[in-house]
Amino acid sequence: MSRISNDAEFKQALHNLSPVQQRIVAASFVEHILPLSKDNRLKNITKIALDKDASDDELASALKSAKAATFDSHTRCGSEGNWTDQAGYFVARAIMAALTPLSQSKAGGPAWQAAMHSRIAQTSSLIDSGDVAPTDNQWQYDILSNYLNAK
Amino acid sequence: MSASLQKGINVLKEQVDSTVASFFSSCVNCGMCAEACLFYTETGDPKRTPINKTEPLRRIWKSDYTLLGRIGKMFGLTKSVDEQLLTDWESLVYDSCSMCGRCTMVCPVGNDIALMIRKTREGMAAAGHAPEGLIGATKRAVTIGSPMGVKLPALMAQISHVEKDTGLKIPVDVEGAEYMVLLSSMEIMNFPEFIDAVARIFNKAGVSWTISTEAFEATNSGIQIGVSDIAKILVQRVVDAAEKLKVKTVISPECGHAYMAIRWEGPNLVGKKFNFKVRHILEVLDEFRKDGRLKITGKETQKLTYHDPCQIARRGGVIEQPRNLIGMFSDNFVEMPDNGKMNWCCGAGGGVSSNERADEIRLKVFQRKKDQLDEIKPEAIVSACSNCRIHLEEGLEEYNMDIPLLSLTETLAEHLADD
Amino acid sequence: MSEIEFLNWVRGPGFQIATIIFIAGVMIRIFEIFMLGRKANLAEAKGSEMASGLRTIVSRSLPDAGTFKRSGFVIVAGYIFHIGLFVTIFLYAPHILLIKDVIGIGWPALPSAMVDAFAVISIVALLALLARRYTDKVRKTLTTFEDLLVWFVTIAPLVTGYIAFHRIGLSGPMLLGVHILSVELLMVVFPFTKLMHAFTLFMARWYTGAISGYRGVES
Repeated sequence: MSRISNDAEFKQALHNLSPVQQRIVAASFVEHILPLSKDNRLKNITKIALDKDASDDELASALKSAKAATFDSHTRCGSEGNWTDQAGYFVARAIMAALTPLSQSKAGGPAWQAAMHSRIAQTSSLIDSGDVAPTDNQWQYDILSNYLNAK
Repeated sequence: MSASLQKGINVLKEQVDSTVASFFSSCVNCGMCAEACLFYTETGDPKRTPINKTEPLRRIWKSDYTLLGRIGKMFGLTKSVDEQLLTDWESLVYDSCSMCGRCTMVCPVGNDIALMIRKTREGMAAAGHAPEGLIGATKRAVTIGSPMGVKLPALMAQISHVEKDTGLKIPVDVEGAEYMVLLSSMEIMNFPEFIDAVARIFNKAGVSWTISTEAFEATNSGIQIGVSDIAKILVQRVVDAAEKLKVKTVISPECGHAYMAIRWEGPNLVGKKFNFKVRHILEVLDEFRKDGRLKITGKETQKLTYHDPCQIARRGGVIEQPRNLIGMFSDNFVEMPDNGKMNWCCGAGGGVSSNERADEIRLKVFQRKKDQLDEIKPEAIVSACSNCRIHLEEGLEEYNMDIPLLSLTETLAEHLADD
Repeated sequence: MSEIEFLNWVRGPGFQIATIIFIAGVMIRIFEIFMLGRKANLAEAKGSEMASGLRTIVSRSLPDAGTFKRSGFVIVAGYIFHIGLFVTIFLYAPHILLIKDVIGIGWPALPSAMVDAFAVISIVALLALLARRYTDKVRKTLTTFEDLLVWFVTIAPLVTGYIAFHRIGLSGPMLLGVHILSVELLMVVFPFTKLMHAFTLFMARWYTGAISGYRGVES
């Protein structure tokens, strides 16, 4: 199995995964960027998302917690935004996307959505420091490639 | 009398024109406005009756602009505006009102009560009685260019992310483009996928567009706090950028008060007509639809409903367009009871969501929207205002309702046909 | 003062004074409003101001279904006494004759028994509305002395008119005199109170309709 090296391949490969596989890969992306969030709940939520044997109840409850985490971390309209904190918001959105059932997921599927939010989370974390060069997504391709190769 | 109170009173005096005078002259204290206002219906607090919120302005009208009032004032018999009144009225005028205008629609004598409250805010703000959150937002809007402190590099970071994601170039500072798109800080910070959606739709529609680095902010905190001078500064920035780039149309994004600010109040704030058009993103998308520039594929199968953002629908006139657009990707649409221009406010607009002190009441009045939703039981809600969206999501979560919120623009983008 | 002298006074000087105050007062109040003016709207219009304003003057009299459900009592009771006032003032033979004397035109009257019934229903409606003003939280918060005064001067002509018509209590001339006096009281109080809404609501409804129509919304 060749290594994935661009978005087209990446998106296609994600699309070919089963719902459970998408969730686990999505959660792996989030695991990588967890340090960007200060919300301790997300660690546990991600753990559940990573568990291929997690029950429907556990997943539903984890999704609910993820939603709550996004509300708690979003920047209120009109308040002073802090991009470092906002990174945490995108991490929460990423895990929320990972746990969203395929039928309700936005375009591209849960794993693609989680990947996108993870990327924004990284970008956000760099804005305050003034370094805004687009981040490298190879780490996401590698996570997916490793997952596919391990199957 | 303190200088700030005097300033407030002077500003209130300036607010009284023939419309305001005809409104106060006609009010018969029937109380029907209360029953149209969710801040009353969901709390039962009679002080939140819309016309009651205008008391500071009413006292000025009575004592300074009526025959009996002027006579009475000479003998010290009229009610005056003092610090205590303004202090007591702060939470009524700012926390318990989004200027949604539903009261205006039901008043039997035809008073535009929302307009009267907008004018009352001018006096309150001048006297120093505006909520902290709004004062901060307004300061940031003036000095930084965004009420949430979003600076250009942050926007550029989001833009380059969107470019990578879509494979499209986001046109920045392009002179002669047909459309100049404004963005709200809420979108840039919390829903950057909106920029994504706009890029993809406009690319497919084949129209020229741009974002201006000198005026990208749509949110007008001056309108929310009620300081026209500040609102004017913020609008002027957009006007300057639009003229510099020689664009034909400025587009207001999915943000309620932004549309009111630039489309309806804008030219009156800066004192001259615009030499470019102003349109809401939904109006532009509907034009694309009519011109056949939108190729949509696939349908949303879930039962959808539409929440009309007050400033866009009832106060803005964009009511049919979202329905036309939803019709493109849905055959399973149901209207809320009380829809279109009579829809109920989400409860968070007009500065309410920027005001921490109003958090409790804001979530309480969501009950009205909940009741609407309970009647039709939709599977998803479509809307076109980021503020409505995040507040509705929070409200739904608070009341344990599992109904996703969809942005109309983003959903359209998701259904764009690959040609 | 004898009864006849009283009656002659209210019919003569009293009526003249009341009419002058009423007409001058109303004109001053309306002028007060117009002279304030309003700024022209520089935004690009979506609809016509004039047409929308005129439309709203009429359409605002018809509440939408949702509003009616929530505010039914006020709407129905309000309509009852307004219609009642219209019928008792303008469709009652003696009043029409009086108007014909003043402006030269008359019109057919309704049977007096019918007018009588309208008067009674209107009085009941007004009593119900007064009770509501004190039992309902919203009305209680809004109600001022002026509301009470206006209520009184509005119901007084109806009550005194009813009593005069049925000749209860006092003599014919006295009852008539009191009734006319009550109308004069209404006329004198009118320009200084919310009764002005009878005239200014046309302006308010027009303005709101115009503002809304400008933005393309029928209101």
